[in-house]
Amino acid sequence: MSATADSPGLWSRLYAAYGLSGPVAMLMFALFLLVPLLPGEFWTHVGTEVLILGLFAMSFNLLYGYMGQISFGHAAFFGVGAYATAMLFTALKTPAGQIGIPQFLASLLAGPPVAALAALVIGFFCVRLTGIYFAMLTLAFGEMLFYIVFSWYSFTKGDDGIQGLLPPPFFQDSANFYYFTLAIVTAAVFVMWRITESPFGYTLRTLRDNQRRAAFLGTNVRTHMLANFVIAGAFAGVAGALWGPFSRSVNPGLLGWGESGIAVFMTLIGGAGAIVGPLLGSVIYTLLQAVVKMYTVYWPLTIGSVILLIVLFAPGGILGIVDRRIRAARAEGEAKEGDPGAGPRDAPAPP
Amino acid sequence: MDIGPYVLQLFSGLSRAMVLFLLSAGLSLIFGVMNILNFAHATLWLLSGYVTFSIFTFLSEQFGASPWLLLPAIVGAVSVMMLVGLALERFLIRRTYERELPEQLLLTFALVLILGDAIKLIWGLENRRINLGVEPVEMLDTLINPYHFVIVGTGVAVAAGLWYFLHRTRFGKIVRAAVYSRSMVSALGIPIPMIYAMVFALGVGLAALAGGVFLPLLPMALGVDLDIIVQCFAVVVIGGFGSMLGTFVASIIVGVVYAFSILFWPDGALAMIFLIVIAVLIWRPWGLFGTELRY
Repeated sequence: MSATADSPGLWSRLYAAYGLSGPVAMLMFALFLLVPLLPGEFWTHVGTEVLILGLFAMSFNLLYGYMGQISFGHAAFFGVGAYATAMLFTALKTPAGQIGIPQFLASLLAGPPVAALAALVIGFFCVRLTGIYFAMLTLAFGEMLFYIVFSWYSFTKGDDGIQGLLPPPFFQDSANFYYFTLAIVTAAVFVMWRITESPFGYTLRTLRDNQRRAAFLGTNVRTHMLANFVIAGAFAGVAGALWGPFSRSVNPGLLGWGESGIAVFMTLIGGAGAIVGPLLGSVIYTLLQAVVKMYTVYWPLTIGSVILLIVLFAPGGILGIVDRRIRAARAEGEAKEGDPGAGPRDAPAPP
Repeated sequence: MDIGPYVLQLFSGLSRAMVLFLLSAGLSLIFGVMNILNFAHATLWLLSGYVTFSIFTFLSEQFGASPWLLLPAIVGAVSVMMLVGLALERFLIRRTYERELPEQLLLTFALVLILGDAIKLIWGLENRRINLGVEPVEMLDTLINPYHFVIVGTGVAVAAGLWYFLHRTRFGKIVRAAVYSRSMVSALGIPIPMIYAMVFALGVGLAALAGGVFLPLLPMALGVDLDIIVQCFAVVVIGGFGSMLGTFVASIIVGVVYAFSILFWPDGALAMIFLIVIAVLIWRPWGLFGTELRY
């Protein structure tokens, strides 16, 4: 990675224009395209999981990295999206369990708006608070939704979950479903990136850095926070919609705070300062999980130790470290040449 | 009218309330003084339950079975856990005082995962429980395990002791002052790191006590800590961070509401508690007994 700092090539120009996200996103996209070429379906399956959970984590990071609020209930929207899709899916499929491609796509479309609606209602209350209280209120709402889904047997099938979400034959092929997921996630990342680079996105950063000052500047704090909350909920809904057909079932656990914790872990591992940080976190988290679980049942111990080390020694996540290295190398180079070159635009800073 | 089931639920709710109080008091104190929300608090409680079990079993083998052996077992477990707490504070938590809230949360959450698996490694998957062999007594149309009185008595005694400690002793007054203004306490020449270490050890000690006292009533099982910590969060939010009275009242609210919800809507007991949390957070984010100052 340090070569990017020295040679003014494509990577260097991408870094100058888009910060670390640019080159990392290009590199990851290229590698993601190649995943189904690996032998066996296992890695394609893991790759799909990486993408879906990565999208979920990136939607969480809209709240955490850009707005500076930590949500412990973000999985509620992931789960609501998954359930909305699963219910429409179940209603549209034939008694034999088959579903046509148009009906399948229609059921996928149900996830994001329902999740956004849930986020609008819950966010209306949550954006009145910040910090630890925001975290607690999102946790309480998330857990309440979890228990409602868990115990409302006649509507959600309770703790049994909804089974038999077998996508149409074309999407049953793991490579096809993988590329379908990759296309959706890529489009979602692009839209999220445009949002964070818009004036709205920069207003969110001011809310993160100093909410009182932003209010004095005339920003309507609550409206902006609510809008972002709904956007984050909608993208979590996109990820949730993909999850059902991917895992062939949904269960109430998708709404629980354990699932919310996954988004937090991925974001902290990858780095909250860059748009693709959580996706990188998802690559590391999901791959590590897939490999570790082959050998041991002590997965919590493993991931707990990883998080401990990251918090103690690598605040800002992997991308945070890399970015600091690059900046240090650049500052050194500039000091030699005496040329105050333009710094990266998207300055990844830990919130 | 048959009041039996209601009396039973009331006692089970009060017992639950006392355990929640012992845990939430430490949680609230640690948050109030150190500004750290300790996710691992209930996991330390769980660990203490297992430690108490091991000491109790060891003592029973040495001196023959007797319910009174629970006392030295609890004292031993509390001492061990306070040392564990001091070590955690010294080597891990102290490094994150200057960090952002989410990173502190993650550190303690990492401890939840690590300690949970450590318990699994040491004690295995089996649930642990102490059977004291006390007979239930008949009263108010129902049979009640007299151990409920021990738990409620312990909870009330600790609440009174904590009140005395915080309001009548020099160290307690320093702790209360630190809740309001750490920098002022520090400016008066009181070593803040020492206060932090003591408060953390005290909080863990209270959790350890709860773990030992609870053991004869309910088995210790892996994963219970996650249910309990979320309920403790509910308690401190309802009562107000840093308020002992609030924590006590909120524990009783949560414990009793939980117990009675089980009677009417078994799966929805926790949903009821979160409904209260949401109402409190929207109406009074600083809690029923907290001060607006801290909010």
